[in-house]
Amino acid sequence: MERAGVGDRWRPPRGRHRLPPEVVARSQRERLLEAAVRVVAAKGYGAMTVGDLTKEAGVSRTTFYELYEDKEACFLAAYDNAVEVLVRRVMSAYESKQGWPDQAAEGLAALLAVLAEEPALARLSLVDIGNAGPAAQRRYRAAIQRLTPLFEEGRDFAPGGRGLPANTSRMAIGGVTGLISDELVAGRAKQLPGLLSDVLFATLVPYIGPDAAAREVERLTR
Amino acid sequence: MVGSETRRRQILEAMVRVVGREGYRATSVADVIEEANVSRTTFYKHFEDKYECFLAAYDLVVERVFSEVIAKCDPEQPWLDRMRIGLATVVELFALDPELARTAIVEVAAAGSDARQRHWDAITRFTGYLAEGEQFGGDRELPGNIGLMAAGAVSGLIFDELLAGRAERLPELLPDLLFAMLVPYIGPGAATAEMRRAAAG
Repeated sequence: MERAGVGDRWRPPRGRHRLPPEVVARSQRERLLEAAVRVVAAKGYGAMTVGDLTKEAGVSRTTFYELYEDKEACFLAAYDNAVEVLVRRVMSAYESKQGWPDQAAEGLAALLAVLAEEPALARLSLVDIGNAGPAAQRRYRAAIQRLTPLFEEGRDFAPGGRGLPANTSRMAIGGVTGLISDELVAGRAKQLPGLLSDVLFATLVPYIGPDAAAREVERLTR
Repeated sequence: MVGSETRRRQILEAMVRVVGREGYRATSVADVIEEANVSRTTFYKHFEDKYECFLAAYDLVVERVFSEVIAKCDPEQPWLDRMRIGLATVVELFALDPELARTAIVEVAAAGSDARQRHWDAITRFTGYLAEGEQFGGDRELPGNIGLMAAGAVSGLIFDELLAGRAERLPELLPDLLFAMLVPYIGPGAATAEMRRAAAG
């Protein structure tokens, strides 16, 4: 059976049916994960309750506790799920091109598209992450780690790149997340794709400098 | 008799201490009044709740940081020198006072949307100092939000160190922070030179 995506609301038929319990459980799990993203976006992680999740997902409390230990466990599972989707899309876009600036442009465009499609996820990752506790913060850092190749390749591409500070990719990431957070805090998630020139500049500039970065941005975003 | 203004400051100072140690979520009004050595009545005379008190405490922290930076920076000096001294001032302040650093950079994100907005305003104010760097762009027009890129890069590095409980090690990071802040304006070659100067000096 295909994984239900966002927007899919397949549920098992009501009443007695012959569906294997694992199929039913998977559907309930996925509804809870979707519910977690929506509820956190609506009221914040602190205010979210198990009752909110069960109501939004249409499952019983008993079912919830069969699947997750507590609200944090459910939230972390939702987060892991969303990160998986995001990283796969970004890295496959990245790998579809040749040459680092072209690859970075493609990867960043995918990143902005995913975040614009799922503003709740975007807010969760960048804006609300401070509220969500140390376990969520560790997840966030792990997700950043998986995207690091997109930035770190600059070290090989740039002349003298090997001589740059060890945490140059962290700087580029900080520049990019700063720009994205600015849009999110202002409630402009839908406008994220319009940031491509700027996030691309922020990514390239620590490696190749402002002149070359501006030239590449112009070439790649024309 | 201790004046009302002094009491208010004591409470705000206590809020910075407790949040810097325990984190915003774990901090209660009871913790703050114990640290400040004031009564609950006194607290509620000055502040409606924990959140309002935190916002005022954050404002106090921001003013302290900016006034230290302004005091150390001579407007006659070249931009590059001012940026290095300004950044060094912030780093030293944070290294000497990890609780203040954690409140200012880490916990503010956890406190709520008004707090985040004020944090953003403080960062925007910081980027104002960077604006002169655009003169180095030459003929090439630099992105409008280049200041935000530089601020994001610097605060990301500082955030990581603070989250790992390494505030005291921030001065060691100064060369890297300088590189991060300057590179969008002057490029990696010149930024590396500044970084080496800071590491040697």
